[in-house]
Amino acid sequence: MRVWIVSGVLLAAVVVLPFVTESYVVSFTLHLFLFVVLAYSWNIISGYTGYTSFGHTSFFGIGAYTHTLVMLHLGLPWPLAAVGGGLLAVAVALPLGLVMLRLRGSFFAIGMFGLARVFEAVAFGWSDLTQGGTGLYLPPAYDLRPLYYVLAAIALAMVVATYRLDNSRFGLQLLAIREDEDGAEALGIKTTRLKVKAFVLSAIGPGVSGGLYATYLSFIDPPTAFAPATELTTIAMVLFGGMGTVLGPLVGAVVLSLLYEVLWARFPQIYLGMVGVGIMLVVLLMPRGIMTLAMRRGWLPHGRIALRRLAARRPAPAEA
Amino acid sequence: MRTVAELIVNGVLLGGIYALMACGLNLIFGVMRVINFAHGEFLAFGALLSVSLVIGYGVPFLLALVLVAAALGAFGYLMQAMLVERVVEGPPIMSLLLTYSASTVFVNGGLLIWGGGYQGMPGVFSGSIPLAGMNLSQARLVAFAIALALTGLVWLFLSRSMLGKAIRAVSEQAEIATVSGIAAARIRYLTFGLGGMMAGAAGVLLAPMFASDPQMGARFVIKAFTVIVVGGMGSYFGAFVGAIMIGVVEVVGGYLLGQTFATALLYMLMIAFLLLKPSGLLGVRVTR
Repeated sequence: MRVWIVSGVLLAAVVVLPFVTESYVVSFTLHLFLFVVLAYSWNIISGYTGYTSFGHTSFFGIGAYTHTLVMLHLGLPWPLAAVGGGLLAVAVALPLGLVMLRLRGSFFAIGMFGLARVFEAVAFGWSDLTQGGTGLYLPPAYDLRPLYYVLAAIALAMVVATYRLDNSRFGLQLLAIREDEDGAEALGIKTTRLKVKAFVLSAIGPGVSGGLYATYLSFIDPPTAFAPATELTTIAMVLFGGMGTVLGPLVGAVVLSLLYEVLWARFPQIYLGMVGVGIMLVVLLMPRGIMTLAMRRGWLPHGRIALRRLAARRPAPAEA
Repeated sequence: MRTVAELIVNGVLLGGIYALMACGLNLIFGVMRVINFAHGEFLAFGALLSVSLVIGYGVPFLLALVLVAAALGAFGYLMQAMLVERVVEGPPIMSLLLTYSASTVFVNGGLLIWGGGYQGMPGVFSGSIPLAGMNLSQARLVAFAIALALTGLVWLFLSRSMLGKAIRAVSEQAEIATVSGIAAARIRYLTFGLGGMMAGAAGVLLAPMFASDPQMGARFVIKAFTVIVVGGMGSYFGAFVGAIMIGVVEVVGGYLLGQTFATALLYMLMIAFLLLKPSGLLGVRVTR
């Protein structure tokens, strides 16, 4: 019951926020939603499945460029263009996942790390299409509110989807792959198919939100689209909150976004270094994140609530 | 015809420096199964430190090479002892995240120290030498010779000395090495130091050839990854062969396709090897 009240209040706050505050707060919250989407997406492939992706900004960049090009050449409105960005990200992720997920551990990490840099090089080099380093310009978005609500809806959808995932057979199968892939396979889990499914799912969020980010900035160039900073911040958020948890990425995104505002305003030149130090500290001191710590200390109920309820239910009487 | 020969020779010369860097990376991977994402930053620090010493303080180039390599060796030793050692036994995702974030910290530390601009080392080995009808840059020839000598020295150290044999023992069978009385943790510190030293020296050798900046590490670390995948993960000699190959592919590919698509070509080569021959040309005992 308390959960519903808290979520209801939060939701109402999100809805009325653009009408009661100045555009700075709206812009900040919009950024927060963007990172919530990215963090939950990364959480699916790296948190649940255990495949460390250092290249998810590839999908963010692909989404941003698709979105911008579709708007410029086909004249579609931005919400439709964002869907296009998501679709292309999926279209790229499916064959890519089939190839890359044959690699394990460090090899997958190396492969994805290189991938983002290759896409960036291509965006620079293919200047007929992308204008190279000059970048592409979109008409400026004067009213941020529609963008704000769309991103809020996607962020909410990601949270709900992760809750469903966490309480589903699919989610448990992904966790089994993370813990022991050979063991999972021996138990009859179709690891390849599920890994590719998780990979493709994790590409949708960056694909769609990359385009929305391009509309927000009304500008896109290769260093913005494929920024390592985006990747690093996302990873820091998920890691801080707790990889493979439902609320971890949300908590991480909120805490780090606030920290970002403070640090960026005062020490812009050391911001990224600080994020790096933060990741190091979490890895060394609290590798399972703050949510797992809270659950272990008993400050929060343990996860997978729906599954627990299902397990605790009295078994149905056997049919005669 | 002369251009082809010149391209290939230049590729081999570049490959020699990649070999120095990649052999260090592969040594680290071989001993502790950790991919050092911060390896490029050792190279960048090596290049920038040497520029500061040679241009700023007038230190002779060769002395700067020794000093910088020693400094980065110590840096690598400390990085392993203080950071990586704590996660070396854990799941690979933790060491990956640790070295990846260390890389960011180093890049931004470098930006604070040296600023974002490019730093050249003018006047050091700036001439060119005519050889068999080709004009070869003096900086590249000297760098290649030194890189080759250093890679060879480390190889001799690994194959002949007791300490080198201990490193190889931990790389092959860590548990049995421990049972035989080898202090595996100390070997890991030493290995990381050795790898850092090699990357740092490679950076010093690159400084007279290219302008250096604190963000150069990412460009080179991908090449080093490609080299060790092609040559074989964990194999010292494999990394050497792979490096020469990658140097040639990069220079010839860059000439034929342009720099952008040469980068993509190298990447595709790496993916192709990962998928079709994950043990690389000379890799041993590799699990994907």
